[in-house]
Amino acid sequence: MTGICQSRLAEERKQWRKDHPYGFYARPEKKPDGTLDLMNWQVGIPGKPNTPWEGGVYKLVLIFPEDYPSKPPKCKFVPPLFHPNVYPSGTVCLSILNEEEGWKPAITIKQILLGIQDLLNDPNPESPAQSEAYVMFKKDKVSYEKRVRQQAKDNAP
Amino acid sequence: MSSGSMSEDEFIGSDYDDLNSQDEESDMEYEQTEDIGFSEVVTEGQRRRAYEVEFTVLMLADILAAQASAASHVAGILGVTQEQATALLRSFKWNKERLVERYMDNSQEILDQAGVDLNDTRPRVFDRPEGFTCGICFDDSGSAVGLRCNHLFCQDCYSNYLTQKIVEEGECRRIGCPEARCNVVVDEQTIKKVVPPSVLTRYHHFQDRAYVEDLDNLKWCPAPNCENAVECRLPHSSFLTIVPTVQCACGYRFCFGCSMGDHQPAPCSLVKMWQKKCADDSETANWISANTKECSKCQSTIEKNGGCNHMTCRKCKYEFCWVCMGPWSEHGTSWYNCNRYEESSSTDARDQQAKSRASLERYLHYYNRFANHEHSAKLDRDLYMKTEKKMEEMQRTSDLSWIEVQFLKKAVDVLTSCRMTLRWTYAFAFYLARNNTTELFEDNQRDLEVAVEALSELLEKPIEREKIAELRQQVLDKTVYVGSRREVVLEDTAKGLLEARWEFNTNVEDL
Repeated sequence: MTGICQSRLAEERKQWRKDHPYGFYARPEKKPDGTLDLMNWQVGIPGKPNTPWEGGVYKLVLIFPEDYPSKPPKCKFVPPLFHPNVYPSGTVCLSILNEEEGWKPAITIKQILLGIQDLLNDPNPESPAQSEAYVMFKKDKVSYEKRVRQQAKDNAP
Repeated sequence: MSSGSMSEDEFIGSDYDDLNSQDEESDMEYEQTEDIGFSEVVTEGQRRRAYEVEFTVLMLADILAAQASAASHVAGILGVTQEQATALLRSFKWNKERLVERYMDNSQEILDQAGVDLNDTRPRVFDRPEGFTCGICFDDSGSAVGLRCNHLFCQDCYSNYLTQKIVEEGECRRIGCPEARCNVVVDEQTIKKVVPPSVLTRYHHFQDRAYVEDLDNLKWCPAPNCENAVECRLPHSSFLTIVPTVQCACGYRFCFGCSMGDHQPAPCSLVKMWQKKCADDSETANWISANTKECSKCQSTIEKNGGCNHMTCRKCKYEFCWVCMGPWSEHGTSWYNCNRYEESSSTDARDQQAKSRASLERYLHYYNRFANHEHSAKLDRDLYMKTEKKMEEMQRTSDLSWIEVQFLKKAVDVLTSCRMTLRWTYAFAFYLARNNTTELFEDNQRDLEVAVEALSELLEKPIEREKIAELRQQVLDKTVYVGSRREVVLEDTAKGLLEARWEFNTNVEDL
């Protein structure tokens, strides 16, 4: 499976360079010797316009396992994000990123990033991952939104 | 249900029938005259004793046959093939009526949900379609596989995907098309064509497991390496008042409600509470709080087992007052009398301590007896192992036949089951609130206990060649007696549960 993992990631990179949604970026990290490390990517997801998330570009790392695309990559906000479905470690909790739920081997990196962008302003209260953002989201929408706007400012590119 | 199944009666019967040589199951009138102890039950028109439930043991072949018969029935009604009917039934957890009803309303939706493609002749594998690139490996060579949604992936990737789902995730109900956001379910035809035979076997194995797990009236036998299932048609709600004990064809007795080993006469909810109580350290903590304090200097735990309030810590030699925990030097001349505390607070503390102590003692009373029977049952088994060797030897040197020396094995089997019953009577008694019926229960419990200990003692007697016939007779008699005492206990507790005669000192329905 290692073979297909590398070739699939190479192809993903090719596709991304050919065409990707506006405001996003995604690139494999560089190894110390200057070659590309296809197993670890740095990506940025912009907040959608007309939402409190607008203006920020949120940074993540995508860590691909050896058996990708049988298994999904781990997606982690660096630094961790204030969001009900992001664990304190920064890891995103999203059904399509869970191998036993919605992960399908045909999901592309583009689809993952668009999925996370959707999640930003449309959190899933059914699966909270951090208490701070979850409690505020449930109890005090005004402060929650204020905090999100501040976070957008802090993450302006 | 089938030839491989057996009923409880046959098993219960076989435990005793060459002991008291009666056939308990086939002829009720015969039973009535032979077994006076239970004539009451029979005259009430009840075939079973109150503590027995009706059940059937299913072997793998029976499980397959049951699936096949349900499928062919549905196939006939809906006009689909046997295999399609099976897939439809699976997606409806084998609820025939609901499936047929929903199918009549909207057959296409039901077919899609179950991943059934009525067009069986549609090809699943395509040889090098034009302009095809696999969305998983981005390769464009080799043959492709696709469902009716026309999302094509190369055969290798498809096979890997299905293998991952089946072997690693144990999925056999609904495997979706590998395309993102596509909800079409992979049908069995496709799986058959794509995955290697070993994975397909695994797939079928999971389907059979799912059949038993989907049905509320079926349970796997929990014994290791046993592949049978047991069917019991009692509703789950009745398990508060009935202890549904079943016995698999492999010999293992277990509770159908919670799949634990036989725990008659205690109902599942009491068993759960009791085990939780025994597992957590609440009583240890209770003891420590009831009996000890900590030295205020070195924090050693100290139990005061007598004497006055002037304490000297063994460890750090700190001298303090047991009542106020302050240093003894400050007590000045008021020797042996700490007047710093108000009278009421210290009596409260003493009351609390007394209460803790009483509750602890009560628990330990029942727990010790509970644990002791488990331990004794083990010792009885060990004893039997040793005796068995002796019996073998005896069989060789004397004129006793193999069948004649089997009485010991029977005795140990009955003894073990009685000890298991006794053990749970103590958990039962722990939660029993005192009323005028508890005495009868305790009498029955005591009678069984006395009989069990007598039999156990008999088994420990050294075996002498001359006295073997005598011993055999004694053991046989005792075994029958012990067995009947156990039935009295079980019968009485089971009836009491049904009649709501027992009062519990805790809320049983809560669990």
